[in-house]
Order: sequence, then structure tokens, then C-alpha cells
Amino acid sequence: MATAAEGTTQVPPKRKYKRSANKAYLFLLPTFIILFLFIYYPIIESFRLSRNRVAPFGNQEIPVGFDNYSRLLQSSDFWDTVKVSLWFMVGTVPVGIALAVIIALLLSYPLRRLNWFYRTLIFVPVVISSAIGGVLFRLLYNPVVGFFNHWLSIIGIDGPNWLNDTSYALVAVTITVVWRQLGFNVIITLAAIQNIDDTLYEAAKIDGAGVFARIRYITLPQLSPTLFFLGVVNVIISLQAFGEINILTDGGPGRATTNLVYQVFIDGFVGTRFLGRASAQAFLLAIMIIAISIIQFRGLGKKVHYQ
Amino acid sequence: MTSETPVPDKIEIPKKKRNFGDAPIHISLLIIGIVVSIPIVIAFFISFTPLPELVGRADPKILPDEWTLENYDTAWNASPFPRYMLNSFIQTGVITFAQVVLSVLAGYAFAMFDFRFKNLLFGLVIGSLIIPFELTFIPNFLLISDLGWANTYQGLTIPFLASAFGVFLMRQFFLTIPRDLYDAAKIDGASDWYYLWRIMVPLSKGAISALTIFSFLGAWNQFLWPLVITNDESMRTAQIGIRFFLVNQERATDWGAIMAGTVIVMIPTLIIFLFAQKQLVKGIAASGLKG
Repeated sequence: MATAAEGTTQVPPKRKYKRSANKAYLFLLPTFIILFLFIYYPIIESFRLSRNRVAPFGNQEIPVGFDNYSRLLQSSDFWDTVKVSLWFMVGTVPVGIALAVIIALLLSYPLRRLNWFYRTLIFVPVVISSAIGGVLFRLLYNPVVGFFNHWLSIIGIDGPNWLNDTSYALVAVTITVVWRQLGFNVIITLAAIQNIDDTLYEAAKIDGAGVFARIRYITLPQLSPTLFFLGVVNVIISLQAFGEINILTDGGPGRATTNLVYQVFIDGFVGTRFLGRASAQAFLLAIMIIAISIIQFRGLGKKVHYQ
Repeated sequence: MTSETPVPDKIEIPKKKRNFGDAPIHISLLIIGIVVSIPIVIAFFISFTPLPELVGRADPKILPDEWTLENYDTAWNASPFPRYMLNSFIQTGVITFAQVVLSVLAGYAFAMFDFRFKNLLFGLVIGSLIIPFELTFIPNFLLISDLGWANTYQGLTIPFLASAFGVFLMRQFFLTIPRDLYDAAKIDGASDWYYLWRIMVPLSKGAISALTIFSFLGAWNQFLWPLVITNDESMRTAQIGIRFFLVNQERATDWGAIMAGTVIVMIPTLIIFLFAQKQLVKGIAASGLKG
């Protein structure tokens, strides 16, 4: 900013930059105040908190170095939450993407009629919140008025008590999250399929390739960057699952659905507050998520640069 | 089916043959469509089912025998639902408006001006996109609480007034508008402020409405932040309201009222989905094609 005055003596094109520089900073100021106060400063603050033992009302802090971290890494409770997060990821990501590919392939078929109708029915979860998703499925899983076990009984299966059974609660949450992510995943996959160069299919057809051969040797390889993108995004989303867990199971039964995010919430906001420990866990979770994001952002970053 | 191609083609195929081949696709898509949308459809029907009917019958049924509006009456009047909705509209309105205006300003600066630290600052905007909310919400909670903003609209909105995604989106769009237009406007004596709001913004209706839709949905559907920053019933947003309403009514197995509340909370987003589906889908698809 200090260079603005000196710029008036420079050659015309440079002067234009320097004069508008102040305007640019003014236009950026509100955005950066918010970003610094509520994203960048909290990162540092979070790291500081994670190396303190914080009294329940946040008014007294005792520095303990990396004690919170070493205690976490040694506690079996922590590793249980990590396990829940990972199982949840394994349950949601591959299934969610596989379903999206199958549905998007069907939707890409050039139907003359009703295309908009099917799309509307299939895309709709994209606007549903995690809370509403939780409430909708809480009704479906209900053992008395719910529908899942009723439908299962029609085909002769005696359904479990979904939300109160330790071995099914995580499955129940997984199904809910896969459902809520489906619209998004299908939209992205369908767009990518429609973006594939038509001439590839025509060439394959001339070579006598059938539908399945064309899917196997053209569609799927051409989709691989998109599937990679979806994999990364879905992994991040699955690691951050919170609303559905809060409403469906509250982390239970026992600790069966307490993932890392949920443990951060419990430590930080339920009963006695352990903000130091909560921050340490949040930090470990964030490192995982940021590492995964960077893999994906390297692609985007390159494009940003050349624009 | 094997004679068909999965790519759209303009060549006319005899109608009979085509319709015959389409049938399995139609049936599969119809079944998938029903399976995917049924949780929402059920919510609508249950919300019109009288309570005795719901708990009285042996097997759950989707369609009510008798239709009632009683559940909406319960949801709307037996809990502070009007207040939840008002809070959500204020919170979402403020966040959406601020995100759009601040993104337009910052996007314009990055697209049109040259200044020192431009790349660094843009990097900071993009970098903030990968910071997960879990990392920032505890310090933010402490900061907002220290400011005395827990249970206030300031507390609900201020941390979200800027959108890194919005800045990126607007910058990308502004870059597609020819620079000649800017130079011509400058020669005619237009200020940047005038050029931005009178020329660029009207030209960017598509991008701005896409950003408005995404900001609205994001703010309306927020859960973790309003959950921790409000504990006063009168300051809960609709998403938090439905969570506590569920806990209360479930004890009374009043699922009709719960689903009426659910329908009320998701109606604004469903309306956006039905009326702006094209734009919403285009916006999401673009994010995928870029990655």
C-alpha cells in the first residue's frame, strides 16, 4: 500500500496499477477480516488450545505441551473413534460412488421422455440437510412405525433394532449418509459422462464393441479423474459426518457410532468441557483432512494459475 | 438393448424399435427414483396422517386413510416453530446477502486490479477452502462467547459472512468478461464502482444467482455451529429446532407432528430445488468437471 504515492511518478501502465491498488485492498478488506478472524486466527488458536489443559469455562489454562496428544495416542477410546471414522469411510465411499456410476450410466441414456422426472427424483437429496436426513431415516428405522423392518418382513427378513443394536447402528448411519450424498455424486458423474467425446463411442461401435465393452473400455477409463475427485470429496465428507450421527444415534449405542468429529463435540460441548483435548483431536482430524484435500487441490491449483 | 448407444444422437431411429429398447431403462430408473425419493415422499404423507391411525395400525402404511392438517397445527403451535423459521430466515438472509456482496467485491478486485501480494492473497482465499470446520469451531465458539454473542444473530451469522468459494466463483466469472468493455467504460469516465454494479453485475446474473442458491442452501442447512452457539430456545434455527422437537415428540410417538415439522423445515430448500434445479445442477456439475 505504501507504494501508491510513489507510483504517481511512474510510467502510465504502472501508475494505473498502483492507483487501483488501494481500491483493490478496500474491496478485499471485508472478506479478509472474516477469513482472518474466523479461519486463519482460529487455526493458531486451536493449536495453542491443544497444548493446554483448559478449565471447563475456558477461563483458566495450564500449558501442558503435547500432553493432550500423547494421552490421546495412548488411549484406547481415541483409537476406537478413529476406527469408527475409518469403518464409516469404508462403508460410505465405495458404495456411494459405485451406486452413483450405475445410476449416472442409466440417466445418460438418451430417453425421449421422463428424463427430467427421473432426474428430479434422484437428485433431490442434494438439498436435504444432515439434520433432516437424520430425522427422515429415524422414522424409517423406527421399530414400531418405521418402514424398513416392515419392508424387510415382506421378503421374510426379521430386521434388527437398527439404532439400538451395536452391530447395526453404524450401518444405519452409513445408509443415511450414502443416501444424502447420492444426489451430489450422481450429478457430478453424469456431467462427466456427458462430457466424454462422442467420437470415442462411435469408433468403438465400428469396432463392434457392445454396450458393456464400451462402458468397460471407454466410459470408466474416461471417468477416472472424476471418480478420483469424488473419492477425495466423499472421504472428506465421511470424515466430517456429524448431523446424522447426532440425530440418529447420539454417538451410541455405547460408543458404536462415535467418530472423531463426534468425540470432539462431546469433549468440547457435552457435560464437562475438555477444550484442550477436543482441540487436540480436532487438530489430528484436520491434518488428515487437509492432507487429503491437498492431493486434490494440486489439480485445481494448476488450473487456477493459468487462467 | 445392445443395439442402442449410450450417447445422444440426432439420427432418427424408427420409433417402435427405440421405445421397445427403452423399456428396461425406464423401469430401472423409475424404481431407483422411487427408492431414492421415498424418504421424502413418506415424510409428506405421514405429516397428513392422524395420530390414532399412525399408532393404531399393525403395519406401517405410506398413504393415510384420512387426511388431516392437525399435525401441522401441533408442530406450528405446540413448539416455537414460527420463531425457529424466523431465526433461520434472518440467519440465512444475512449470510446469503453478505456472501454475495463480499464475493462480488473481492472477485472484482482479483479479476480487474493488479496489486502487490495479489497471488499471496488469492492463495489465502483458496487455502481457506481446505480448512475443515472442525478445526476452527472451538476457537470461534470461545471468541463469539467472549464477545457476548452466543444466542444472538451476530453469533449465528458473522463467522460466515465471507465465502472463499464465492470469491473464487465470481473471480472466474469476471475474468470471462472482455477487458475491452472495462477500457471502454473507463474512457467514458465510469468509475470502478459504477462499472462493477452497473455493468459487471448485470452481466453476471447467472454466476450471482448460482452463488445465491449455494449460499442459501449452505446457510439454511447449517447444523453444528447453530447447535453449539445457541442454547436459548428462542434463538434456535429451524435445523436445531427440529432436532429438539424430534426428541420431545418421539417420546409421545407423535411422528405425524415430527414429519410436519420436517416438511416445514425442508420446504424452502425443496422449492429452490424444484425451481432452480437446472442452475443448481449446473453449478455442482461444474465443480466436478473442474476437479
